[in-house]
Amino acid sequence: MDKNKVNESELISAYIRGDENAFTILVNRYKSKVYTTIYLVVKDSYVAEDLTQDTFIKAIKTLKEGRYNEEGKFLPWILRIAHNLAIDYFRRAKRYPNVVFEDGSSVFNSLNFAEDSIESAQIKKESHEHLRSLIKKLPQQQREVLVMRHYEDLSFQEIAEATGVSINTALGRMRYALINLRKLMSKTKYAYDTNLYIDSE
Amino acid sequence: MTQTFTSTQNEIIRYVYNETSPSENRLIEEWITGDTENLDFYLDCLQLKEEMDQIVLVPKDITLERIFDYSKNYKPAY
Repeated sequence: MDKNKVNESELISAYIRGDENAFTILVNRYKSKVYTTIYLVVKDSYVAEDLTQDTFIKAIKTLKEGRYNEEGKFLPWILRIAHNLAIDYFRRAKRYPNVVFEDGSSVFNSLNFAEDSIESAQIKKESHEHLRSLIKKLPQQQREVLVMRHYEDLSFQEIAEATGVSINTALGRMRYALINLRKLMSKTKYAYDTNLYIDSE
Repeated sequence: MTQTFTSTQNEIIRYVYNETSPSENRLIEEWITGDTENLDFYLDCLQLKEEMDQIVLVPKDITLERIFDYSKNYKPAY
């Protein structure tokens, strides 16, 4: 079976019929999207590993119990599960800050990167770690919109509905997120003030 | 409709993420080409988008093994 030619619907149907290889293909196809989405919300690699596992376990249960009804839309569906688990964790962690994992440079030590040559992997690792660390510095509401739009591929209208705000507020948060990221990267001179924007509009 | 600095940038973001209609595209392209600040903002958004695309993290193999094991062993209750 050529995995590149098999679409989601076929893979899901095969998995529901008991073909574990189909599920392996689905997981390998989307593991990075799921993990990255979760990691950028919770900001902790250990928690992201756990929540990635929880996300796929929820998917396994739903699929094997015959409750899956979004044929052909597997990625948005599983990213929604991932996002909800990440946000739940984030809110719990915010409520009980004493049980939160430490958020610092040490979390990077355990990150896995997609396979690449040693040299290019190192360059990528450094630049991506930098940007990732900047994304982690964004205020939570801005980071949430940025992750939902960029990594979960939700439209601004869908983000507005999911987060209970107007589309202009969602856009405003994204705008602040991008402006703040650019400021943090200090690569261009902007006509904005030097403080990070905190409040959404 | 009066375009403010803020709303112009919001529209540029929608444009960068391909959420604008063809007629909106024409208008936004005029804003971008006719104003240096809009052009800078657009180019910065594009660059950030491209850089964020490069962030590819993968879970550890052990996490994937646990997922695959769970799937192989999971039997629905019904």
